[in-house]
Amino acid sequence: MTMVATAMAGGSLAQYLIISGVLMSIGLAGFLTRRNLIVMFLCTELMFQGVVIAMVAFSRWHWEVSGQVFVIFILTVAAAEAALALALVVLLYRRRDTLDAEAWTELRE
Amino acid sequence: MIDRLWFLMPELIVLGGAVLCAILGVSRKVGVRNLLPVFAGWTLIIAGVVAWLFVYVPSTELAAVATEVPLPWLGRWVVIMSAVVGLMLVFVQAGLVDRVYEAAVAAGRVAFDPLRTTRGEYWVFFLLSVGGLMLTSGASDLVWLFLALELTSLPTYVMVAIGRVDRRSQEAGMKYFFLGALASAVFLYGFAMLYGATGTMSLVDIRTVLAEQVAETGSMNPLATIGLMVAVLGIAFKLAAAPLHLYAADVYEGAAAPVTAFLGFVPKAAGVIALMLLLSVTGWQEDGQLPQVLVILLWVMAVLTMTLGNIGALLQTRIKRMLAYSSIAHSGYLLIGILAGPGAGYTAVLIYLVAYGLSNTATFSVLAGLRRSGQEVEFLDDLAGLRERHPIMAWGMAISAGSLLGFPPLLGFWAKLLLFMAGIASGQLVLVIIAGVNSAISAWYYLKIMAIPLVGTPKSDAASIERVDVPGARFALVLISGALLVMPVALSDMIADAEAALREPDKMQTVDEDSGHAGGSAIKQEQPSLQS
Amino acid sequence: MTVSMLNILQSAVGVPAVPMDQVVVATDLRWAGIILLLPLLSLLLCGLCAAMRVKSKLPAWCTVACLAGSFVLSVLLYVNYNPPGEVIPLLSWMNLSWGDGALNSFSANFALYIDSLSLLWIMFVTGLGTLIAYYASEYMEPDLGKGYARFFAGVSVFLFAMLALVLSDNLVMLYLGWEGVGFASYWLIGYYYTRPAAVAAAKKAFIVNRIGDLGLALAVYLIWTTFGTVQYDELMTVLESHSWRAEFEGWTISAIPFLLMLAAFGKSAQLPLYVWLPDAMEGPTPVSALIHAATMVTAGIYLVARTYPLFLLEPVSLHVVAWVGGLTALLAATIGMAQYDIKRIMAYSTVSQLGYMFLGLGVLTTYGAAYHVFTHAFFKAVLFLTCGAIMHGFAGQLDLRKLSGLRHMKGWRITSWTMLIGCLCLAGFPLTSGYFSKDAILAEAFVTQGPGFEILGWIAILTAGLTAYYTFRVWFRVCAGPVSYEPGDELHDDHGDHGHGDFHPHAPRFAINSVLVVIAVGALVAATPYFMSNKADANIAGGWVADMVHDSTARAGLPGLAESQHPHSEEVSHGAHEHPTLFGMDPHKAMYFVSGAVGLIGILLAAYLHLWKRKSADALRGWLLARGWIAWLPRAMERKWYVDELYHALVRAPLWILGHICYAFDRFIIDAVIVDGTARVPRLIARWLQPLQSGAVQSHAVVMIGGVGIIVLLLALCLRFEWLGVVL
Repeated sequence: MTMVATAMAGGSLAQYLIISGVLMSIGLAGFLTRRNLIVMFLCTELMFQGVVIAMVAFSRWHWEVSGQVFVIFILTVAAAEAALALALVVLLYRRRDTLDAEAWTELRE
Repeated sequence: MIDRLWFLMPELIVLGGAVLCAILGVSRKVGVRNLLPVFAGWTLIIAGVVAWLFVYVPSTELAAVATEVPLPWLGRWVVIMSAVVGLMLVFVQAGLVDRVYEAAVAAGRVAFDPLRTTRGEYWVFFLLSVGGLMLTSGASDLVWLFLALELTSLPTYVMVAIGRVDRRSQEAGMKYFFLGALASAVFLYGFAMLYGATGTMSLVDIRTVLAEQVAETGSMNPLATIGLMVAVLGIAFKLAAAPLHLYAADVYEGAAAPVTAFLGFVPKAAGVIALMLLLSVTGWQEDGQLPQVLVILLWVMAVLTMTLGNIGALLQTRIKRMLAYSSIAHSGYLLIGILAGPGAGYTAVLIYLVAYGLSNTATFSVLAGLRRSGQEVEFLDDLAGLRERHPIMAWGMAISAGSLLGFPPLLGFWAKLLLFMAGIASGQLVLVIIAGVNSAISAWYYLKIMAIPLVGTPKSDAASIERVDVPGARFALVLISGALLVMPVALSDMIADAEAALREPDKMQTVDEDSGHAGGSAIKQEQPSLQS
Repeated sequence: MTVSMLNILQSAVGVPAVPMDQVVVATDLRWAGIILLLPLLSLLLCGLCAAMRVKSKLPAWCTVACLAGSFVLSVLLYVNYNPPGEVIPLLSWMNLSWGDGALNSFSANFALYIDSLSLLWIMFVTGLGTLIAYYASEYMEPDLGKGYARFFAGVSVFLFAMLALVLSDNLVMLYLGWEGVGFASYWLIGYYYTRPAAVAAAKKAFIVNRIGDLGLALAVYLIWTTFGTVQYDELMTVLESHSWRAEFEGWTISAIPFLLMLAAFGKSAQLPLYVWLPDAMEGPTPVSALIHAATMVTAGIYLVARTYPLFLLEPVSLHVVAWVGGLTALLAATIGMAQYDIKRIMAYSTVSQLGYMFLGLGVLTTYGAAYHVFTHAFFKAVLFLTCGAIMHGFAGQLDLRKLSGLRHMKGWRITSWTMLIGCLCLAGFPLTSGYFSKDAILAEAFVTQGPGFEILGWIAILTAGLTAYYTFRVWFRVCAGPVSYEPGDELHDDHGDHGHGDFHPHAPRFAINSVLVVIAVGALVAATPYFMSNKADANIAGGWVADMVHDSTARAGLPGLAESQHPHSEEVSHGAHEHPTLFGMDPHKAMYFVSGAVGLIGILLAAYLHLWKRKSADALRGWLLARGWIAWLPRAMERKWYVDELYHALVRAPLWILGHICYAFDRFIIDAVIVDGTARVPRLIARWLQPLQSGAVQSHAVVMIGGVGIIVLLLALCLRFEWLGVVL
């Protein structure tokens, strides 16, 4: 309970970094294991959010604002990527009627 | 603030060109739509000329901004290089997108529908991506670097997917996009660590902070070191350097040949420039060497990249895949120059980028300029005896592949020589020997690429290979082949220009006073043979 | 005592060194680079003509115009340059330096070194080049639209390389030119590439020349290691700054002249490397005239003259040069006596005359050598060009037994009379140019003291007689006597339908005739410099040519100067204390009579055997062959002293065996075991790695992230536990 309380009260830098690492890892694991293209894309978004949390935490720790500015740009780029990803996914789905990444293995050795 | 904008003039021009293309692309007049490559080409020409004649000339504005940027003059080289190679890519890509659709519209089978055309978008993305490459060179902080790299990459994902209407190009686009997003997350994580270790985004300030930390503790902050390593590895994706090179073969093969030519140069150049800027935060310490960890990292990456690239290319029968692997190998050579550091190493990298960009564009322009019943030529053997029917293509292929191999007296040879000499000068003899062995291995397949079109016996169906009706690719091929033969004459001028582009800000003020700048003269001693 | 080394040696021959400090860098003469560029332009135009499949004589006119431009500029350069010499920088090329000190730098740039020697050479090279290109415009007519442009492109390449060779200011550029003329010669000898003999001759010329080129390459390297420079002006300055030969340590100083000699002997066809030149006559005749008689083969003379101070450092080398030259002259003359192919006779006579020139260099008369180069260029060009005209008109007929009385045939008079002029000069008929230039060499053989130089002098006089004999054997057989002829086997298309029965020789037209006349007049006029007084130094004799040699690095071999001053040297004694005499006269004066008489005897003998009593020549041959004790002589002469056979036994056969051994080694050891083995390794690795490429996004991602993870983890561990010291 005390840990949660500390976290609620603001917490230490290490805790935020752990959260960020965990988010990265979940995203990575999801990316590597899931077959659905949309889920895979969401996993990369998760990794971006891991970076965002680290950035904000460092920014607060250094008491320096540029990290948070960076976060806004990361979110913007992530939004652009999301638009792109959805368009791509729609394109692929129309072609194959499936969202399984394994269905797209025509290009190989 | 006005000063910074003045600095960005070429990029703004490219942006304006992109907007113009977006509007003109949906024009109902087919003549206007066909003019898109012309607009794109002129945009690049104007941007290049502006950078050359107006922006990167000594001025008070520049001196004021210069201290905020690691390599303030780098833009001059990169913008002009992007404009020149970009122009060649424009020729290669002209008439690529919507070929079938436009033919149908012209034949009156379908009515023109602005929602179905993608030609305008394609050229917008092309210009934006080239603009991203130009922006990379001026990066003063991590945010800028990130945005510039993403601006370079995001449009390429679309270009791969819409370059041609084909299942394989869509698969390539998908793979490229997902793996690219993954790599972006990786280098962003590195950026975050770098920021965490130093508390600033500005590259110049990071260098100062890291130098202070080194002065205090005697070694670099481990968090910063690991952050740098992760960032370098993430950016390796843009270079297609090991271990993030795997996508390259698939994506290059799947994309249309003109798009592949683009992928082979623009993201790779952006990645190389980004690496140069990012590694500047280490300050290259007092002896001009990187911290040992980074040396080992880059060393391993270079060896893995060139070896895996060349070995991968050995067994290929499909020509685009072969060239894709060879372009991986070239990233490995470029890493030697990065490793050799500012001065000789970076000079060689800049020249190698030009040589590689031109030669690579030329090889792909052959593939872009040939067609068999509407499809691209796929196998190397299909090109056998090309000389008999299309001599220009065959000779252009031989010259450009020779330049990629490093065949004297072509430009590629001198560029490679400079790289290797810089490597030796910085003490990386073993690495250069490995690179030499790799060059020998690469001769195996490059000589095949050179010889089969020239002297091979044509296959029975060789007559079905025809030239594309748009002459752009041939035009680019002839121009580049000529340039590869002629440019070595001006090699010493190129070296001088590259050195000038690499002047560091603190040394810039003194340039006018004591004509010889410190960085430049150091290089002169290391590379005496090529100085006139 | 700070007398410079070169001065001591040159005081031996009584000539002060060329004042190298007066050799200035002249940027205002940069236009001289156009002399070099014009042949390149002509090459480009010929290439364009070939690409456009031009059917007219356009390539010829391009070449003639460009070469004429070069000639005019050369003359302008002669008028404008300042003695003793000027360096004209054109393009910087190699400027290496890797530290301070003598041997830590190397520079060789595209710069021109203009002194009178190089001017002399470029003027006759470009002048004769222009005329012969004009001649070839008619001669090569049968090839119009086929190899016409290729021929003139080859001529342009040759002129460019030759001018680069002569004008270069350093040995590296000279080497490039040297290789360039070798290549052009290969190109043009093999011009008729469908004829196996031409291809074989081209290969032979190229390979034999490579031996000499190896010598030159080694010499350039040794010169650089010994003197620290390859630029002429610096080289001469270094030579001057050393006071005695002993200051140059080591063996290199002795080796350099011998290596240079090897190069010169290869290019200028001297024993034992002369074998390529007679075979080179397989090329078109204008090429034989230009390259293999007048210009390229004199590159060896030029090389020796240019580096003459290096030869003076090692007197033995000059003795060797003299003896090789003298023996080559005799050997080639004896072979020439017994040949029937007139072009081949001229080829052997070229070898023989080149021998004279080397003899001149060896006996310390660079003036004589240069003068003979100059006159020989004219009269031998005339002789070859007349041979070419005959060959052209009689469908390739060159056998002197099958041609007779051209003098009386319509349209062949100019050819006959110009040939007579050439023959007179070559035979050394009194008061012709060849007479004076040959005398200058012959007399010096008696003046200069050296090992057996007097014997050498008599050999040279004997050779002069033989020369007169074989020269006029050709003229009396071909041009004099009753009219009769047989066509050769190369009937051109325009005669093809006539068949053998009614063959009409077609006489040369304007282009050939005019060139013949101009060069023949030139051959006659070339005698006049001998009577001119000298501007540079009144003590020397020899007129304009001597003036030209006087200002150059080869000035040590100027006879006049030596006698006017007091020579004292043990090593190279030229004009020693008691003046040598010949028949109680000064050798120079005596030689006028001796060589004139010998020449006349040769001509009369030829007239008897080949004009008045033609049967007696065959009778004499039969008589000689019937006598067992002397029969070997005509046989050996006809078989060219068995030199080709000797080469075959000594060089080719062992090489053939060695080649097959190497081939077997290469095939069964290197290829089978090593190459295939090493080639297999990368491909095996590639096969092994291929399964990693399953093509799915995730498998790529796994490898990527796995790679990043492993690398970062390993390096982080290194960082954490400071293993770096261990790793590195």
